[in-house]
Amino acid sequence: MEKGGIRLDPVTIDTTKIKTIKRRPVTAIDKLEDTGMISTILAAREREGLILFSTIDQVFNWARLSSLWPVTSGLACCAIEMMATAMAHHDIARFGMEIFRASPRQADLMFVAGTVTKRMAPRVKKLYEMMAEPKWVIAVGACASTGGPYHESYSVLKGVDNIIPVDVYVPGCPPRPEAFLYAVIQLREKIKNEGYGAKWGLNK
Amino acid sequence: MNAAEELKNALPNSVVSISFQLDKPLAIIKKEDILKAATIARDMGFVHLSVITGIDYCDRYEVVYNFLSYVRKQNLVLKVILDHNNPVVDSLTSIWKGADWLERETYDLVGIKFSGHPDLKRILLPEGWAGHPLQKDYDMKTEQFVTIGDDGEDIVSTDGSNLLRRKYHGN
Repeated sequence: MEKGGIRLDPVTIDTTKIKTIKRRPVTAIDKLEDTGMISTILAAREREGLILFSTIDQVFNWARLSSLWPVTSGLACCAIEMMATAMAHHDIARFGMEIFRASPRQADLMFVAGTVTKRMAPRVKKLYEMMAEPKWVIAVGACASTGGPYHESYSVLKGVDNIIPVDVYVPGCPPRPEAFLYAVIQLREKIKNEGYGAKWGLNK
Repeated sequence: MNAAEELKNALPNSVVSISFQLDKPLAIIKKEDILKAATIARDMGFVHLSVITGIDYCDRYEVVYNFLSYVRKQNLVLKVILDHNNPVVDSLTSIWKGADWLERETYDLVGIKFSGHPDLKRILLPEGWAGHPLQKDYDMKTEQFVTIGDDGEDIVSTDGSNLLRRKYHGN
């Protein structure tokens, strides 16, 4: 792209010159700046060009992370904590996730909440494969992460990442609802940095 | 006189010995007389069969029956000792319908066969699983995986290649 005598090659953009905003967000405008969108637009204006891909990525990422819909599935006692997270006291609706879908076709996120037994493993995998892209997985608790206390067992899979890819692992047996929410926040950070814009250093 | 002593008085030839398991009266019964002893115990008021379980002691198997009497507010434990090579004992399903699944579980995990059981098959593990996991000589080195067949049935195999997405980090 040639414009105004400056050659804009996305691969060779010097990312060190892009300023990041470090102050704590106070107002709604600050929060919008915190997502990195405004700084990207300003950076594009300074260069007299339009960096289309990264902006679209950021809009997509923002839309995706703002309303993750989890699939209603629980395997063991961690699922009780998942229900507690969804209830009024901890209120996962603050993160736009209050709609636990009963169908994996409509869900973006799967909490693998509990012990994955050998007999349940193909069902969990099928559930994951039925979900539409893009999709994310949070392995909740020691059992889903590594097998946990059942690591030496004949009947328990040693970590659900043996059968499906996992984005965030939550330790605990079972984790408190606060740990669920922290995992969700970590996943949102991860989604925020997905796409080509992040790879070029343009997202924040 | 506790329940085990009453049982010994009623069936002196069937009860091998009596003692206590924790604070519960325990009676060890000859394995061919378990049906008779359980009938007597039920008539004594122990109408609730709460648990059947089995233990592998390497040289023998023991099957433990835990009874509860709502009227007497007492427990009673019956035990039979089985041969390690051929663990077979009579089923209690003719007296308690609920013994059906308890005996299936004992068969599934410990490998004890119950003669006279209407439908003795695995209850927790899928059909085709090799070995009974609570036996002391169960092979823990071999990982077994389950996949779903075309008709929804469970298929057990040691090859998990169509289930796993990487090399399995087992034992």
